[in-house]
Formats: sequence, C-alpha cells, structure tokens
Amino acid sequence: MKEKMTKGKKIFLAVWIALIAVIIALIFIIGLPPGETESIKEVMKDGVLHDLNKMNFFGIRVNPAVISAYIVTAALLLAAVLIRVFAVPRFKDVPGKFQCVIEKLVEFFDDMAKNNSPHKTGFIGAYIFSAGVYIFFSTVFELFGVQWMTDAGHSMSLPAPLADINAAIAMGFTTFGMILISGIVANGPKGGLKVMKDFSLPISMSFRLFGALLSGLLVTELVYYSVKLSFVLPVVVGVLFTLLHAIIQTYVLATLASVFYGEAVEPPKKKNRKKKGKES
Amino acid sequence: MPLNIDFVQILLHMLNFVILAGGLSLILFKPVQKFMRERKERFEKQALENRAAAEENARLKAEYEQKLADAEVEIQNMKLEKEQEAADAAKEYLDAAKEKAEKMILDAEKEAEERKDHILESAQTEIGELVVEATQRLLNESRDEKTSQALYDEFIRVAGEQ
Repeated sequence: MKEKMTKGKKIFLAVWIALIAVIIALIFIIGLPPGETESIKEVMKDGVLHDLNKMNFFGIRVNPAVISAYIVTAALLLAAVLIRVFAVPRFKDVPGKFQCVIEKLVEFFDDMAKNNSPHKTGFIGAYIFSAGVYIFFSTVFELFGVQWMTDAGHSMSLPAPLADINAAIAMGFTTFGMILISGIVANGPKGGLKVMKDFSLPISMSFRLFGALLSGLLVTELVYYSVKLSFVLPVVVGVLFTLLHAIIQTYVLATLASVFYGEAVEPPKKKNRKKKGKES
Repeated sequence: MPLNIDFVQILLHMLNFVILAGGLSLILFKPVQKFMRERKERFEKQALENRAAAEENARLKAEYEQKLADAEVEIQNMKLEKEQEAADAAKEYLDAAKEKAEKMILDAEKEAEERKDHILESAQTEIGELVVEATQRLLNESRDEKTSQALYDEFIRVAGEQ
C-alpha cells in the first residue's frame, strides 16, 4: 500500500515537472510575448530618478518613496506601541523568545553606541536603533509589494524608501545634523568645528546608502524586465539583494553614525606641553 | 534639480525620520533599556547580597569550627580532669582500704597477743594446779615437808624463767 502511494507520488511529480518543462519550452518556441511596455532605459531611469510616477501626499506631488517612508514609519510606530503596551509590561527576568529578540536588538545598538562613543552615549543609542530599524524594514518593505495609486491613475508597487535619493540625502543629513548638534552641545563651537571638518560625511553617507540600495534595485529591475528571467530567479535575486542590503546598510550606517558621534562628543585632549616643560 | 533631488521631499523624509526616531526612542528603546538596566542592577545587588551571605556563612562556619575545636579541647581537659579525679578517688579508697587492712591486722595481732597471754595465763594456772596436784601426790608418797618445799621452789623458779 505504502509502495503504491510512493509510486503514485513519483508519477505525479514526473507529470508535473514535465508539464512545467513543456510550457516553458512552448514559451521559448512560440516566442516571447511583447511584455515590455517601457524600454529598459525608461525602466532604469525611473528606477534611479523616480521621475515618471508621482503620487499625491496631502496635496504635494511626491515620489512613491515618500509614501513608502510614511507607511513604514506608521507601521513601525504602531508595532512599537503594541509592544510597549502589551509586551514590555509582561517582560520577565528570564526572557522568552520574543523578549529575547527585542532585548537583543536594543542591546546590540546600545552596545555599539557605548563601544564607539565611550565618553558620552546620550541619544546616539536610540538614534542608531531607530535608523537601523528604519533602514532594515524600509528595505524589506519592497518585498511586500504594497500597491498605491499614482496621480496618473494607475496603481504601482511601492519601492523601498531609501532607493530614492531624496530619502538617502535626508537620512545622511539628519545623521550629520544630529552629530553636529551633539558635538556643539558636548564641546561648544570647537566640537562643531571638529564635526564640520568631516563635511563630506553627509554626502558620503547619503550616496553610500542610495548607491547600495539602488544597485540592488537596478539588478532586481533588470531581472524583472526580462520575461525570460522571470521564472524562479526574481524570488532568489529579490530576496537575496533586499535582505543583504537591508542588513549590511543597517550595520554600516549605525556604525558610521556612532563612530562619528563618538569623535564629536569626545572631550578635547588637554595639551600639557607647558607642564612638561616646567617639570623638565 | 539634477538626479530629481527635491528639497521639499528631503524635508518630508527628514520629518518622517525625526518622528520615527523620537517615537521609537520614547516608546520602545528607552523603556526596554530601562527594564534591562534595572534588571542588571537588581541582579548585581542580588549577587552582592549572595556574596555577602556566602562570606557570612564562611565566617559562621569558621566560628562554628573554632567552637567545635574549643569544645574538643574542653572535653579533653574535662576528661583528663575526671580521670585525675577518678585516680585520686581510687588512690584515696585504696589508702583507706590499706589503712583499714593495716588496722585490722594490728587489731588481729593485738587480739592474738591477748589470746596468747590469756592462754599462757590459763596454761600457767592449769600447770600450777597440775604441779600442785602432782606435788600433793608426790608429798603424799614421800611425806617429807622439807623436800616438798625445795621441789616447789625449784619449780616456781624454773617456771618463772620460762
């Protein structure tokens, strides 16, 4: 009986695989349907510049990334409120699985802040925690394929917010601004000047983020563009590129922000040449 | 703007991120951090208390062992003392017994002496009587008063010497 079932399963599998192979072969034999309504140049250009599809955001014409960013923020804040109300009061001394994940996440960014900025931790732990969570989830957000209406009236899948250069610039400059203000608060105008010395930081930070996210996006777009490559491959490429970029960029930005913050708030080293001279 | 850079959108993204950073910090990061810090402090306090309790236990154990050792010494001393007392009592008892025995021996000797004297005395009397009787018989046989007297005196002298 058992052998018969196994045999039946084998036959089913063979027929199923053969059917898929025949259909794929037919597609290639008969010729590919004209699936591409936009040229690859247009797709890539839209992928980089987001200038074709615009959306309405409280009366302002914006790129889809703005909508994505606010949706991600709303979702994250809602999740945070739910965790704060329902989970945090029930936290135990010996944590469960969920508590472990939350604690590990907070501990990871807190430790990173303490290690890279040993003199003063201040707001940086919370900041890189928020930045990390935002970069990770906004990159992963692309995988959900949330549909939104463009102002032209057709729906489109919302992209990762940071694949838009405006979002990347905003992230880079906000981080730089935070570091600059912290430097001034900690060390006065001297601290501010020390931060200004790294004037290229916001630009490098923005474009690194944008470039990393964009490269993944372009490869994915390229794979999606061709019907020939649209079997199985997009799943692997999409998930792989998205998750890898999400994790790597989270780590990179959090590390850079905490390192530069640490340098900015580091108390100035006192020059003790005079003292040494007197002693000698 | 080149690259479709739009300042309004940059500001919108900044606003979005500032809201998110503030919100996440207040709602999630700080409370979890506070919980972890308080737990760490509580555990550290507990660890200190445990260490203090362990030290107290060690101190009590040492004290107990010291007391035990002292008690051992005290027991040993008491044992020695009691042994000494027992030895003294035994000696006293033996001495008393010895004294008693000596007294008994002395008494016995004295009694024996008295008995001997008494026996001798009674024997002397009996001998005297016997001598008198023998002498009477002899006198009766010889009827010589002078000889009888000489014999009697001689007997008395010999008996006195003996």
